[in-house]
This record gives sequence, C-alpha cells and structure tokens, in this order.
Amino acid sequence: MPRHNRLILAHLWVAFLVLAGAACLGAWQMWVRSPLHAPYSNPETYFASVTTHGTSMAYVMTTFFVMGFGYYVAETALSRALPGANLAWGAFALGCIGAVMALVTALTGNASVLYTFYPPLIGSPFYYIGVVLVVVASWIWCVLMIVAMAQWKRAHPGEAVPLAHFGTVANAVMWLWTTVGVATEVLLQVIPAAFGWTDMVDAGLARTLFSWTLHAIVYFWLFPAYIAFYAMAPAAAGGRLYSDTMGRLSFALLVIYSVPVGIHHLFMDPEQSTGFKYLQSFLTGLVTIPTLLTIFTISASFEIAGRLRGGTGRLGWLRTVRWEHPMALATGLAFIMLWFGGGGGLINMSYGMNAMVHNTAWVTAHFHLIFGGTVVITYFAIAYEIFPHLTGRPAPSIVWQRRQLWLWFIGMMVTTLPWHWLGLSGQWRRVAHFDYADPAIAWWGPWVTVSFLGGLVLLAGALLMVGNLAAFHFAGSGTAASPITGFDPYARALTSVRRVPAVLNGFATWNWVLLFLMLIAYGWPVAQFFVTPSPAAVVHRLFEGG
Amino acid sequence: MSEAQQSDDIWHKRVWAAVVAAAVLGAFLGFGLIPLAQGGSAGIDPFSAICRALGILPGTPARLTPVSTATPQPVTQVAWTAKTLDEIDHGDRARGAKIAEERCVACHAPDGSSAAPNVPRMAGQSVFAIYKQLHDFRSGARVNETMSAMVQGLTDQAIADLANYYGHLRRGTSDLQNPPFVGSEVENLVVNGDVARGLPPCIACHGSRAGGPVEVPTLTGQHADYIEAQLQAFAKGERHNDIYQRMRSVASRLKPEEMHLLAIYYTGQR
Repeated sequence: MPRHNRLILAHLWVAFLVLAGAACLGAWQMWVRSPLHAPYSNPETYFASVTTHGTSMAYVMTTFFVMGFGYYVAETALSRALPGANLAWGAFALGCIGAVMALVTALTGNASVLYTFYPPLIGSPFYYIGVVLVVVASWIWCVLMIVAMAQWKRAHPGEAVPLAHFGTVANAVMWLWTTVGVATEVLLQVIPAAFGWTDMVDAGLARTLFSWTLHAIVYFWLFPAYIAFYAMAPAAAGGRLYSDTMGRLSFALLVIYSVPVGIHHLFMDPEQSTGFKYLQSFLTGLVTIPTLLTIFTISASFEIAGRLRGGTGRLGWLRTVRWEHPMALATGLAFIMLWFGGGGGLINMSYGMNAMVHNTAWVTAHFHLIFGGTVVITYFAIAYEIFPHLTGRPAPSIVWQRRQLWLWFIGMMVTTLPWHWLGLSGQWRRVAHFDYADPAIAWWGPWVTVSFLGGLVLLAGALLMVGNLAAFHFAGSGTAASPITGFDPYARALTSVRRVPAVLNGFATWNWVLLFLMLIAYGWPVAQFFVTPSPAAVVHRLFEGG
Repeated sequence: MSEAQQSDDIWHKRVWAAVVAAAVLGAFLGFGLIPLAQGGSAGIDPFSAICRALGILPGTPARLTPVSTATPQPVTQVAWTAKTLDEIDHGDRARGAKIAEERCVACHAPDGSSAAPNVPRMAGQSVFAIYKQLHDFRSGARVNETMSAMVQGLTDQAIADLANYYGHLRRGTSDLQNPPFVGSEVENLVVNGDVARGLPPCIACHGSRAGGPVEVPTLTGQHADYIEAQLQAFAKGERHNDIYQRMRSVASRLKPEEMHLLAIYYTGQR
C-alpha cells in the first residue's frame, strides 16, 4: 500500500464525486435541448448548468485525478516516499477551496461564460479566482513530481526513470508550459475586468493567450490515459510492453507538439494571419505521430499478450487477450472511441474543413469522445486497478466494473455519434432551445432524443462508478484467494530497460526545443498586439452587481 | 567520449534536426509557397502576399481585400470607446444635480420618480442608458418634442454628470414589489423568448446577469405606459436609435397585447 494512500484516495474521491454531479447536469442539458419537455428549462439555467458541467469535468475532476494518480505513480513506480507530502495536502486543500468557489459561483448563474475564458464576456471574479486556486494546486503537484524524479535520478545514476513516472513528469512539464497562456490572460486581463478595474479588454490578445492553453490542456487530461496504456494495460492484458522507448518518445513528442498548436482553435478568428494558422495546423498534424506510435505499440503489446495466452493466426490473438480485466477492456473501448474522436479531430485541425464544422455539435461530439470517452474510461480503469492497492481490499466485483465500463462506452457512443451527424448538418453548439416545429430542423428532434438517452446511460455509468468505488471501502480485506500484497500494476517491457538516451530520460532538451517552437509559433501572434494595439472591446460582466 | 555519451549526443542532434526541419518546412509552406501561389492567382504581388501571411499587412493572401462602397448610416453618435466610458466614470453627481434642478426636475422629479405615466422614471436607471439617450436626443438620433429641446446646449461632460446623478439615485418602493401576474405565456417570453418567432428572451439583455449591450436600460419599476409606448414606437420604426435594430426587430414581432402585458410585467419586477 502506498505510504500516502489517504492523500491519493482523497484526490480520486473528489474527482469521481464531481464527475457524478456533472454527469447529472449533462443528462439534464441534453433533455433541455431535446424536443421532450424538461423541468427547470430556461436558457439562463441551461447556461449556468453548461458552465458548471464543463468546469467540473474539465478543470476540477481532471486536475484532482491527474494529481492523485501522479502521487500514486511517484510512490509506487519510483518505490520511494513522496517528497513534500505536507505540501501535497496543502495543494489538495487549496484545490478544494478553489473548486467550491468556482462551482458555487457557476451554479448560481454568476459566471455563465461556458467555462471558456473568452472576453469580453466576464463572469464573477470568484469564479476565476476559484479556477486559479485549482491551477495553483496543480503547479505545486508539478513541482513535487519533478522533485521526485530528480531525487530518484540522484539515487539511481545512469538508470532509466521508470516509464510511468517519466510520463507523469512529461505531463507536469507540459502543464507548466501550458498554463502560462491562460494564467497571463486571467491574471492580467480577466480578473481586473471582473473586478471592474478595467472597462475595456483586448479580446484578440485574450483569445490568443487562451488558445496557447486550450489544446495542451486536453493533453494534460490525456496523459494519465497514455501512461496507463503504456505502463499498465499490457500487464493487464496478460503480456508485455512492446517498446519502452516508444513510450518515452511519445511522451516527449506530446510535450513539444501539444502547446505550439493552439491557434487551430482560432481558425475562424480574424486576429491571426493565414500563415500562422497554417503553421500551427501543420504542427498539429505532427501530434498524430505520438498518437499513431501509441496505437501501434499498444496494439503490438496486446498481440504479445494474446499470443502468450495461446492466440494464433493473423487475428486469433485478439480473442485470447485478457479482456475480462477492466484495464484491458477499457483500453480496447478507449481505442475505439479514439478512432472516431481522433478522426473528427483531424477534420477540426484542417484549416479548410474546420469551416464546415465550426461552432457546431460536431465539435462538442469530438471533445466528448476523446475526453469523456477515451480519457475518462481510462481514468475509471486506473481507479479499478489501483483501488485494491490503496484500500488494501480486493475488488468486490470485477463483473460490475466491466458492466460500468460498457455502460460508459455505450452511453458515450450513443450520445456523440448523433452529435457528429447533426453537427455536419449544421446544428449549433451552445444553444439551449431549438424550434423543432421548423420543418428545416424537425428531423433533428429524434436524434437529439437519442443523445439524451445516451446521456442517461452515461449518468447510470457515472453513478455505478461511484458505487463500485464505494464498495471497496465496505469490502472485506484481502483473502488468500486474492492477495493484495506484492501488488504491481506496471507492465514490464519486452526487452529489459537499463539505460536509455539522456533525451529520453529527462526534459532539458525538450524544454529548449519547446521554447524554440513557441517562439516561432506564438512569438509574433502575441507580439503583434503590442506592436499594433487592436481596438479594445467593452467588458460585459455577467453577474449580479457587475 | 564514452559510448553512452556518444549515443546521447547523436540523439540530441537528431531531435534538434528533426524538430527544426519540421518547423522550417511548416514555415516555408505557410509563409512562402502557399501565399505565393495564392497571391499569384489573386493578383497580389509576392511581397504583399508574404506580408499578409505573416500578419504584417492586413488581409489574406488568397484574395484582394474587397472595397466597400456602402455609406455608413449610424443610428447613434455614441461609440462605446475607452474615452466615452472614462467620461461617464468621471461624471460629477453634484454638477448633475444642479443641471437636473435647472432642466429636469419639473417632469422627472428631483428623486427621479416622475408621476406622469408617459414620463420615464430615472432613479436607478443605468448610467450608460441615460448617457446614450440624452446624447441621442441632442444629436437627433432620437426625437421627442420636449426632450430634444431640453438637451440642446448640454456638453458631453454635462450629459455624463446628469447620467451619474439620476443613475445613482435609489429606486422607490416599486423595486420591491412582486411582478404582477400577466399570464404564463408572457412570462415565458421574458425567460425563454420564442424561438419560432426569432424572439430572444427579454432577460437575455434586460437582466442583472445578462451582459447585454452596454446601453441596455433597466426596465424594472418603469411606468407601464412608457414601456408600451416605446415598444410601439420601435415596432413602427418611429424610434430608431437602437444599435443593429435590436429593439425594432424584437418589437415588430410582438403582438400588441404582448407589448401591453410585458409593460405591466416590468412595472413590478425587481
């Protein structure tokens, strides 16, 4: 059992309770958008709900999960005590205070800015300060992860940092780079406007700074999933990791190609030139390299597992993979969702095709499939994987864990596939009501209802998740049939890893490379606002007394 | 140099070479080849095309920037610039009170609670709304027999002072009354609008958490007769100082009885 299992459990419980609450809001939102009559339905409540749902899922749930899982990896993969445990508890408290501030403000309708930071719309300062506190908590986590790796390397000179922690530090390094954009925007532009210290705001600069964060934040959420794919799933499937080097390379490439690409969120904006939009679209294309490396490596690892377990023939190994293990099952389901979500993402990042789907339900479908699907289902599997280790109790029911994963997968597919189709047909996102009496869009009604049903399945999946985790705490302790001692969730690589090249064992080079790319990709796009200041926009405050 | 160090060095160089090569290729395509090809077919010289791609010159390299021959037809002379907002921020309430005593109190009363139902209550009205309407009366963007004459000779500063004076007065007891019941259909218009008629909810702009246009007036506690008359004037196009025709568009889609009931609704709404 990790020494600080209570710290880790506290983070994971906050994450999953917030997820369950946000799932309730999500299902209600689909009800409102559908032709069925939903209770408490009006636009003001809808937008307050969307903001709370997004803030919960994107900022609170993810940050707490990433932190909790990071602490687990730091203690178990490095096999040493977590440095600065008191600081970690302090960060947890800070994050909790911030989360309550942000969520209460959003839920009371005082920050219905749809959880994005796009001035001149400005919510209550309490909302932004709350989110900032959550981010500050994550910064403390980043420092602790980096310190843990540095201490381990000092104690093990010349040895390869265990892959799971290398990935965790990759995420920490990337997150520190990523948050520079939004932190600058929020601290220098948004919060002064929210307090009423400024009446005008440079919306173009704010959008550009937010874009700096907007793509890489998704990779912050995605990293734990990738770490699980490389470091846990092959063992769960009954095999070995095909290549440790591929994992390191993928993590490093994700660090450098997730940040200098955010302008692909501004393709339809006028404040950036076509050349920089193209350049960042080009760099976004390079993110496919670590993604494809991962799909190849994990598929190969699963093939090894299938063949070790007696699978033969070209595809016969697929049948013999240990799919009954929740982590293996979740990885398979996550890959299916990654296929659809990733395909949609390639369309979003293509400068020309983006115009077709801009601001439609297609975009919502894409990020729900990638984040709500691939990422979150892997979070569930990680929790199932490490909870026995954290609680000292075996899983009460693997069957219910698998059912929960299937519920989530089916719910996400049923919710998002109609969104893709409707988005292609022009259905707007961020709209509370549709006039289904209009013959032009009447046919949308049944499909939106299908998505609502998918939302209900997701809600059932979220609640079952909470039930499955709660069951650990009520279960009996480990038995001889399912011992908890000697627990090791990490996969061994096919060839033993002793020494790896320095660039794949640390981040010094990658930091310089990323600085170079950021100067090219964001240097002039940010500097132009100071060289030729654009006309500022009047701040629109959306809260009582604003 | 040891074998391990040599291997590290090779990796280091390869990483840089690959990253720089990819970045140079992306930059060459985005800032060179594509704008040159696009500019060539659009009739834009190569230098301008590259400058456009870089964002140093405005416009896209893919087409010539169209020249608009449309003449602007402003509905108001008020622009919400930093200078205007600053002027309003620095309005002097004491000076505003003095001007009000000379010009306004006969109709609007010193406390802004006019008794006549066709004269709007000013107490607690948005300072931005008062500023814009007075400015519009002065410029002729909005016309009223009495008001157009009363504001002549007022400077921008005097208008800002007046706006601050009336805008910072407390509203009377009408603020605290519950909205009169005017039927669920009209209340639905306030909260949800009517998608079929393209009507946004009233509270999308006229609400404390709306974040609508700067100049949106506070409607709560206003005289019903005044609100109804303004809705009718917008619907007929007699009043036309609303930016982007927002209120003309909304009012023209309201039925007369809806205007009447909405006006009553807002008399009591806090």
